[in-house]
Amino acid sequence: MSLSYPKRIFLTALVMLFGLLMIMAALWLPPVDREVDVMDSLFVIDITDSMNVQDVSFANENINRLDWAKEYTRQAILSMPCGSHAGLAIFSEARSLILMTPVEVCANYHDLMQMLSQFQPTMAWARSSEVSKALYTAIRQAKEITPQPTVVFLTDGHEAPPVHETLFPKFTDTPGEVPGIIIGIGGSDLMPIPKTNESGEIDGYWEINEVMHRDVYASSRGDAAELNENRPRTEHLSSQKKSHMETVAKRIGFEFISSPKSPQNLIKEMQKISEMRQQPVKYDLFVWLASIALVLLLLVFLPYSLFSKQHD
Amino acid sequence: MSWSYPYLLYLLPLAVLPWLSRNTEKQIVWQALLPRDSVSAVIGLTLHVLASATLAALIMALAGPHIPEHTVQRSGQGAEVIVLLDRSRSMDQPFARRHSFRLSTKMNFKESKRSVARYYLTEFVNSRPDDRFGYVLFSEQAAGILSLTYSKETTLATIEAGGLGRGLSKTDISVALKKAGEMFEGEVYRGARIVLLISDGGQILSTEQEQQISQLLRDNNLSLYWIYLRSVTGMTLDEMPGESILWQGAPERQLHSFFKDLNVPYRAFEAGSLEEFAEAMKAIDQQHYQTLLLDVKMPRESLADYFLWVALVSLLLLSASQIYTWLGVTRAYRSKH
Repeated sequence: MSLSYPKRIFLTALVMLFGLLMIMAALWLPPVDREVDVMDSLFVIDITDSMNVQDVSFANENINRLDWAKEYTRQAILSMPCGSHAGLAIFSEARSLILMTPVEVCANYHDLMQMLSQFQPTMAWARSSEVSKALYTAIRQAKEITPQPTVVFLTDGHEAPPVHETLFPKFTDTPGEVPGIIIGIGGSDLMPIPKTNESGEIDGYWEINEVMHRDVYASSRGDAAELNENRPRTEHLSSQKKSHMETVAKRIGFEFISSPKSPQNLIKEMQKISEMRQQPVKYDLFVWLASIALVLLLLVFLPYSLFSKQHD
Repeated sequence: MSWSYPYLLYLLPLAVLPWLSRNTEKQIVWQALLPRDSVSAVIGLTLHVLASATLAALIMALAGPHIPEHTVQRSGQGAEVIVLLDRSRSMDQPFARRHSFRLSTKMNFKESKRSVARYYLTEFVNSRPDDRFGYVLFSEQAAGILSLTYSKETTLATIEAGGLGRGLSKTDISVALKKAGEMFEGEVYRGARIVLLISDGGQILSTEQEQQISQLLRDNNLSLYWIYLRSVTGMTLDEMPGESILWQGAPERQLHSFFKDLNVPYRAFEAGSLEEFAEAMKAIDQQHYQTLLLDVKMPRESLADYFLWVALVSLLLLSASQIYTWLGVTRAYRSKH
């Protein structure tokens, strides 16, 4: 295809004018409103002693479960679109304690991280670890918060004192009313649980005779003999209690994710189960307009002669 | 100046394209036939420079030039406040009432001392735009969960969270005060520093604890305010003539006299009711309006527009010359045929 000289010049002028128009639009077109799906979340982090076990890895480094939980929470918050809200809570004894109700994640990232870094086993107010009851209180308190957040509960599932399968604490709320996800942390091998002293340093390990190995209520019942019969005494050791967490999750209508690889696993699951809020954000079209202008001008200045010489 | 997408700058060599392309020039038989004209040479050069500038400016605009978020200091009116809110179980109960013949076993969380404290703290924070707040959660242990921040959103969210759920175990005011003192350590002195203690009980401190606390408070230039939520009807922090002997030497009073003897500004407010609590907060609000150095966050500022302007001006000149050329060429062609 060949164009006459004046036509070529005319075409070039036309493309340039169009590019000019694009740049003017990029400069003066006001930003448009765009709806972005944002989520409200409440991260509950297990700070009980079993979380001190070093049996998880992050970036090829062996770290303890609590540090893993904190790092995972940080990355998850970082992956949320601006406008999303995240709150923080800790779990110890038999309840979740909310420390900050959900706040916007981008503007308050620094404060969220500051608070997260404070989470230490020393904050625990008692030395038991009743995961299921803590989940119930997290749900109850999430209901008092508006807009209601999705609960993300990070734990290894270790119940101390242990719970017998038939004597489960009653869940009185409607399952699934508050959406939530349990993130299972920890390896599959039984590991000794470090004890921490008042200043948070590891000070020995829980011994076999220092912990309860049977459900308190089960052992006081008539059928105790059957229960006591040759059960392994391993409650002083801890691993990720997957089947237990699955059972609990089913009971309260939560999802269960075991040792997720990336924060995207959590974000995707949250998008599936929680009610997303639409938040309008200002979106500047300048990138698109300027790109069009650039491409047009590149077309004008491409050295066609270099390619077409062979035809001459 | 930083770039949001610095890798786009690798496209910058594309700006030499105008110097390589010859596709708008007329084909001529022999180069030497062209007359040498220095004015045209300059114009030709200028047009090439303009074209390069347009391309480079567009690429740089797309790479997202900006001044990153940064902080500047300005002076405001206010104080740095660390809130110490008692999270113990006794705070779940309502204020002590003078005449109550009813015995109620049902706890009303709406009227609990903790929820009242939450309500007025929220008002307090909202009424002080320039203050910087920190928050210490304490019962038997203390954790400075919110380090000093300018963000009203996080401060209010932490205060709100303090009103949720039930109380924890017992109270240990000494660890809480120590924590509050530690939170100021290593901070630059910016202006008035306040520790706002809200609790419903006292404590008998050991000599060692007393020493540590007075040291921390003095070293860090702290003022102490104690809003004492009365749990025993009628008992005041200062001794009154003709009062019950049982109140003498109560932990609350011992703590009060320890605070008074400290060499730091101290004031106690006694609140036995909602109204008194509100008044105490108002009094503190009026007390502390001093000059305070503030860090103000300046949001990130995009500089893309400047580059777009460069592209706009150079492309404008370029298109004008192109149209002029076109007009000239068409006229020449028309006259020939």
